[in-house]
Amino acid sequence: MWATSHIPRPPGASLPGAPSTYRQVVAHVRLRTPLALLGAALLVLVAPPLLTTGSGADTGTQIPGLRFMVPNTPGGGYDITARTAAKNAEDAGLTHNIEVYNLPGAGGTVGLTRLVGEHGNGKLAMSMGLGVVGAARSNHSPKSLGDTTPIARLTEEQDVVVVAENSPYKTIDQLIGAWRENPGKLPVGGGSSPGGPDHLAPMLMARAAGIAPKKVNYVPFDGGGELLASILGSKVAFGVSGVGEYLDQIKSGELRLLAVTGPKRVKGLDGPTLKESGYDVDFTNWRGIVAPPGISDAERKKLITLVEKLHASPEWKKSLKTNGWDDAFLTGEKFGDFLDAQDKRVVSVLKELGL
Amino acid sequence: MTTPDTTTTTTGAGPEGTGGRSRRAWLREHSELGVGVLLLALGVLVLTDALTMDVEIAQRGPIGPKTVPVAVGVGLLVVAVLLAVDVLRGGRGEAEGGEDIDLSEPADWRTVLLLAGVFLATAVLIEPVGFPIAGALLFWGSAYALGSRHLDRDPLIAAGLSVVTYEVFNNLLGVPLPGGPLMGVL
Amino acid sequence: MDAFNSLMDGFGTALTPVNLLWAAVGVLLGTAIGVLPGIGPAMAVALLLPVTYGLEPTGAFIMFAGIYYGAMFGGSTTSILLNTPGESAAVVAAMEGHPMAKAGRGAQALAAAAIGHFAGGMIGTLLLVALAPTVADLAVDIGAPDYFAIMVLAFIAVTSVLGSSRIRGLASLLIGLTIGLVGLDQMTGQQRLTFGSLQLADGIDVVIVAVGLFAIGEALWVAAHLRRGDAEAIPVGRPWLGGADVRRTWKSWLRGPFIGFPFGAIPAGGAEIPTFLSYVTEKRLSRHKDEWGKGAIEGVAGPESAASASAAGTLVSMLTLGLPTTAVAAVMLAAFQQYGIQPGPLLFEREPDLVWGLIASLFVGMVLLLALNLPLAPVWAKLLRIPRPYLYAGILFFAAVGAYAVGGEPVDLVILLVIGLIGFGMRRYGLPILPAVIGVILGPNAEQQLRRALQISDGSVGGLVDTPFSLTVYGLIVLIVAWPLVKKALARVRRRGVDVEA
Repeated sequence: MWATSHIPRPPGASLPGAPSTYRQVVAHVRLRTPLALLGAALLVLVAPPLLTTGSGADTGTQIPGLRFMVPNTPGGGYDITARTAAKNAEDAGLTHNIEVYNLPGAGGTVGLTRLVGEHGNGKLAMSMGLGVVGAARSNHSPKSLGDTTPIARLTEEQDVVVVAENSPYKTIDQLIGAWRENPGKLPVGGGSSPGGPDHLAPMLMARAAGIAPKKVNYVPFDGGGELLASILGSKVAFGVSGVGEYLDQIKSGELRLLAVTGPKRVKGLDGPTLKESGYDVDFTNWRGIVAPPGISDAERKKLITLVEKLHASPEWKKSLKTNGWDDAFLTGEKFGDFLDAQDKRVVSVLKELGL
Repeated sequence: MTTPDTTTTTTGAGPEGTGGRSRRAWLREHSELGVGVLLLALGVLVLTDALTMDVEIAQRGPIGPKTVPVAVGVGLLVVAVLLAVDVLRGGRGEAEGGEDIDLSEPADWRTVLLLAGVFLATAVLIEPVGFPIAGALLFWGSAYALGSRHLDRDPLIAAGLSVVTYEVFNNLLGVPLPGGPLMGVL
Repeated sequence: MDAFNSLMDGFGTALTPVNLLWAAVGVLLGTAIGVLPGIGPAMAVALLLPVTYGLEPTGAFIMFAGIYYGAMFGGSTTSILLNTPGESAAVVAAMEGHPMAKAGRGAQALAAAAIGHFAGGMIGTLLLVALAPTVADLAVDIGAPDYFAIMVLAFIAVTSVLGSSRIRGLASLLIGLTIGLVGLDQMTGQQRLTFGSLQLADGIDVVIVAVGLFAIGEALWVAAHLRRGDAEAIPVGRPWLGGADVRRTWKSWLRGPFIGFPFGAIPAGGAEIPTFLSYVTEKRLSRHKDEWGKGAIEGVAGPESAASASAAGTLVSMLTLGLPTTAVAAVMLAAFQQYGIQPGPLLFEREPDLVWGLIASLFVGMVLLLALNLPLAPVWAKLLRIPRPYLYAGILFFAAVGAYAVGGEPVDLVILLVIGLIGFGMRRYGLPILPAVIGVILGPNAEQQLRRALQISDGSVGGLVDTPFSLTVYGLIVLIVAWPLVKKALARVRRRGVDVEA
């Protein structure tokens, strides 16, 4: 396993160019060279498949050799969703050895392009979410989620509108009142690049409050962590990000929750929805799974069955709880329609911004 | 992109000699002007890219996505000119020395091209023939280009190294590498 | 002394045989995987996440910490021996470490790195225990204008690595800045120099640039000028650090943490900038300036110590604020959540056993790592005795594996080769390599912080200097720039004084 063990260490002093050794080698060359070449060729051809027998009968929910692509870096949201889902599916005995791997780039667009390129591959799935829908549009990707085979939506998460504990804004009305007066002076921080969920949420908020989205001073941060420091230090007037990451800071009082962006209040948190505060916003981030285009009906059904069984398993239920994810299970066609609607919404918001 | 020796350049003062040979000698002597030309080209590229960018998005603040590229592009142009002036005045960049390097001999372009070719071939082959084969060819090809002629030993070392690396990454660590044409057949 | 008592309880947890075993397994796995090309600590921790699933939380995190620090120890090994850094924190180690290895002082370079990691980790963890709440508060107070001021300071520092010809150093820096521009603009999502390719949209990773310029560039350059005939193996030399080496490096080991630790605690891009600043500081302070670039041992010791201490700083922000400042911290945060534990303001109250057990295990892990790596240094160094064709073929092979394993895209290999050819050309015409790498690291950071600061102040330039911290840094910069002038003026005044007296 150490890197050393496979660095070649030629025996003795037979360094290249040493004349005596060279002559000896030439003498044997007639017999030994073809043998060596044959051996090497056999080794590289035969050893990998023999050593990689990812067996398991192709029955029931088993999909031997299933690979799960994560279109962003380790530690990101899609990564955690994918690794948790794969682990739970294995623990529940649904299938062996799901291989999870990362192919990050351009907010998930690189992964999406690769997935669409794997036409007809029934042993591949990709973890994705609203961010990929936005990134594909804002990067003007030639491939969209309409090109994929929708499998299922798994979880959803509301965004929260938060300020630091020493912020002058005590309610969402105060904040939006001040924001309306001078949108430029009230920078809003979010954990995603333009086109991502944390960017869309404040834009929808602005639209509902009668602020032209173009006037909004949106400051993108590299993930929720970097954003948190800026909210706590009052560098930005307020922050908008997923509820999961800030649960503890809200509970400990370091962050004040002004509102949640979804249709109903978050259990255990004391904050109104934007809707009940009079702003017509209904925004929820979500994550799901898609497969490459052109897979057979049987393959599609098999993937959906696997996800359905996973959804029903106690392991997954437990994971939902520990991670604080809301269940939002939706499969197949219905998920496809949902994807379409989300795509249209993203396009309409981005158009207003001129992205 | 990095064979400035052959770059014919018109930057700076014209060649002093009249005959073809002295012109060539002059160019050889001043081949570093090629670096200036490349920097100039890079600067023009960066500036073109920056200036043709359509910034329709509401840009906040005085500094937009164009500002820094423009500054870098202008910097490249300035440095290109300064470097050319320096070379024409007789300044020379010192080629890097080192333990394994013998600067007294002329450059061995054949080896460099071979190595670059082998590397490029690996990039092309890795998906169709898989990592174990492409990796073994990369190691063997490089060792061959660098003068190792143990035809009985090198292929085996290369194959062994490649297969072990494949096993460690693909099977032990779960970092997927393409396995080759026989995957799923055997 | 509350922290002290809690720490003692923590040692009670960490020193139980079972937890000691997990720490040992963690450091072993971490070192082994960190040594592999293309796999840095973040990747190592993510890959080994499933291994820890079966354990109870305390054991799992003790193992995690071992993997994290182990991967950092291991990462500098490939940097020094093969010139192929596996992650950005190890880039600086290659600059002095690899020339040392080529000169037969590989064992010393590795030992200096191992002790540097040990010293940095120890001091960093002590600072973590003593200062965690204070540092966490300060980290939050530092904002974009302050980061930008630090970047300006770093750019001033670059002038000291430009090499003998300023103009060629600047050319190299600008090449680096140009490479840094490639990709999506972080603030607006605008594509720059991507030529419509999605593969280039995330920019070119600094590790690819470093491996390309260092390893591929050097392999090609050596190939063009390989000393034929006398295929003498690289001498192995003495296996241990000599007294002279220790006398040169002990100050560097102790200085590193004070640069690395604060940077780890703030979200400013991890260990890249502190290792570079430590490198420049050591170069300024060194009495052996002529050795720099050819294998100055301080240039390995200081930055490695800073890198480990920055890892400790990272843990401060992660444990007390739930604020991941690096990719590794983000993965660890995810791991905490797997166990239903939320790092952040309430963690120390809710899970004191786990937190203090984890901190105590950092000390334990550090001792284990030193005991593991110091004897291994001469063993690793012997690797370089293999014949030249195999050595350089191996370097090309591992550079390719590293580049491909990260993204799984063949186009990464092409990018690597192109950057390698640029590195070849730079060597031919005496453009120093280092400024280009620094340009790739600093350029995007500086631009982002500048624009973020201006955006937060809604376009007012005053927003760049409206914090005490940024003003202090700019004051420092003025001093550094003005100091040579002042010194000259003082000398003149003094001489005149002497003349008058005479």
